[in-house]
Amino acid sequence: MSSMTLNKYQLIIMADDRQVVLERILQVTRYRGFLINGMNAEVNTGNNVATITMSVSSDRPISLLVDQINKLIDIKGVEVDHSAEEIQQAI
Amino acid sequence: MTESKTLTGGALLFEVLQEHGVQHVFGYPGGAIMPIYDALYDSEVKHFLCRHEQGAAFSAVGYARAAGTVGVCLATSGPGATNLITGLADALADSIPVVAITGQVPTAAMGSDAFQEIDIFGLSLACTKHSFQVTDINDLEKVLYQAFEIALEGRQGPVLVDIPKDIQLAAVNERFDKLAHLQNKVNLPLADISKALDLLTHAKQPILYVGGGVGMANAITEVRDFANKTGMPCVSTLKGLGAINPDNENYLGMLGMHGTKAANIAVQESDLLVVVGARFDDRVTGKLDEFAPNAKVIHFDIDTAEINKRREADAAILGDLKGNLPLLTMDLDISAWQQTIQQNKADCAWRYDHPGESIYAPAVLNTISNLMPANTCVTTDVGQHQMWAAQHMDFDDPCNFLTSGGMGTMGFGLPAAIGAQISRPHDTVIAVSGDGSIMMNVQEFATIKRYQIPVKTVLIDNEKLGMVRQWQDLFFAGRLSETDLSDNPDFIMLATAFDIKAKLITKKSEIDAAVKEMLDHDGPYLLQVKIDAAENVWPLVPPNTANDKMMESV
Repeated sequence: MSSMTLNKYQLIIMADDRQVVLERILQVTRYRGFLINGMNAEVNTGNNVATITMSVSSDRPISLLVDQINKLIDIKGVEVDHSAEEIQQAI
Repeated sequence: MTESKTLTGGALLFEVLQEHGVQHVFGYPGGAIMPIYDALYDSEVKHFLCRHEQGAAFSAVGYARAAGTVGVCLATSGPGATNLITGLADALADSIPVVAITGQVPTAAMGSDAFQEIDIFGLSLACTKHSFQVTDINDLEKVLYQAFEIALEGRQGPVLVDIPKDIQLAAVNERFDKLAHLQNKVNLPLADISKALDLLTHAKQPILYVGGGVGMANAITEVRDFANKTGMPCVSTLKGLGAINPDNENYLGMLGMHGTKAANIAVQESDLLVVVGARFDDRVTGKLDEFAPNAKVIHFDIDTAEINKRREADAAILGDLKGNLPLLTMDLDISAWQQTIQQNKADCAWRYDHPGESIYAPAVLNTISNLMPANTCVTTDVGQHQMWAAQHMDFDDPCNFLTSGGMGTMGFGLPAAIGAQISRPHDTVIAVSGDGSIMMNVQEFATIKRYQIPVKTVLIDNEKLGMVRQWQDLFFAGRLSETDLSDNPDFIMLATAFDIKAKLITKKSEIDAAVKEMLDHDGPYLLQVKIDAAENVWPLVPPNTANDKMMESV
């Protein structure tokens, strides 16, 4: 049985509330090698901006995911909550 | 008194295409896109009926790449839409601006597993830059405008617009305000110019590493000026071929898995890589940890996500290459390095004096390169012939060498050549293919026949899936699993069935006359070139190996 260090991060994503924006974020997150540990999404119906908080873990640098989510057309911005701590996780 | 005709969604599509300068589209009709094809009947946009939607997608890609514009393809719902996917994936991997229009079942039937219904919108997420599904006729015009803008802005790519049948039929009530800013997103962070200048002035053995982004940034002049002014030795990726003038004495050709020995050695020995519009692809770097181990990196790119993705940049310069590269264009004192480079280049020069009477594929491709008219556009399929074309043909512009780089898609070459020829009717277009690849989209010979498109097809025939066979021989103990194609059809008879003039050559003494006959022929032509099935592409950097540990023979 092998083990590796997975770093855990919390992302705060602001996005236009458009078709399949959540699916796009999920697809990119999986494809780029990040596990989703939890998420929450809310929409401000006044300005149609969605706020998505997502906790992810991976052995890959978080900048990889941030840059790729930022490339999505409907994304307004992505921030990393650096307070998340590194965890050891058996694979 | 005449009554004004109602503008439908289908008619609006062609109006918007014309507003974007689209003259030609490639497609295949079907049930859920019939209102659009009905509107096409009255449109000035010229439609090319391909014989498979994948052919339509690749023709759109070839059209876009050859002309530096957006390619457009159409397909119906369900299987028509799914048949576009490989072409869209290819366009995404190579950053090609394509707008794909798919018909969809009526909105009331969506989600009911209707006939020819597939969630192409969902399927598009992994193979497009962006996608839309239009569920309100009043959104259609704006969405189409956004599709073109997104396809072209920043790092280019394919955009899919899925239009249900009732939206195609619906009357347009509201027009989109074209003056309104579309607020699409372009990231252009600040460039690290001063750091880059410092690295450049201290470099003793710099290399200019040129990628496909140069052509797409329309920065060929700036890159050539940089290469000439600095005198920096240059190497190119597969997609960058043509960006550097092949006559440049410091140009070493392609780097990477099948790159030239001189290029790979120079990169490994360099102390600075100036990377322009390239992305450290695995086929370029070989074993990443050992790629250019002593080099600092200045990385120019339009895409933030490419910086530090596979190799840390010491200076990152994001944004428009055309504007940024001149900021670093200066004289450098690297004469000792240049002499070493030029000596290596001479020592590693290709040889075409192959013994025997059989045809050596690199020699025939080099002959074509030497005889083809200026501004000839060459497309390839994928495999040994592709690498031989990249190694042994010279190109003076990236839009004259169209090959499936990122996706490596067999079946690309013939339909891409059709698109290239439609976009550039006065230039010669040659599709270099293999006997495996040609069968992947062989139905497109019918498109050539229908429109008498004068594409020249050079079929390098070894009766094998040659590249896979080469790897089986080298890395799988010669266990030749499913790579024999000795039961291929008679390609001359096949071409003749499509009214395409065809010729077979088997001896090297036939090469010159056959190539001249092909190039002089006014219409479509197929030149079948039989080669020795045992020929390999050399050099070869084995997988997970440093680029200077290349194999040059068995």
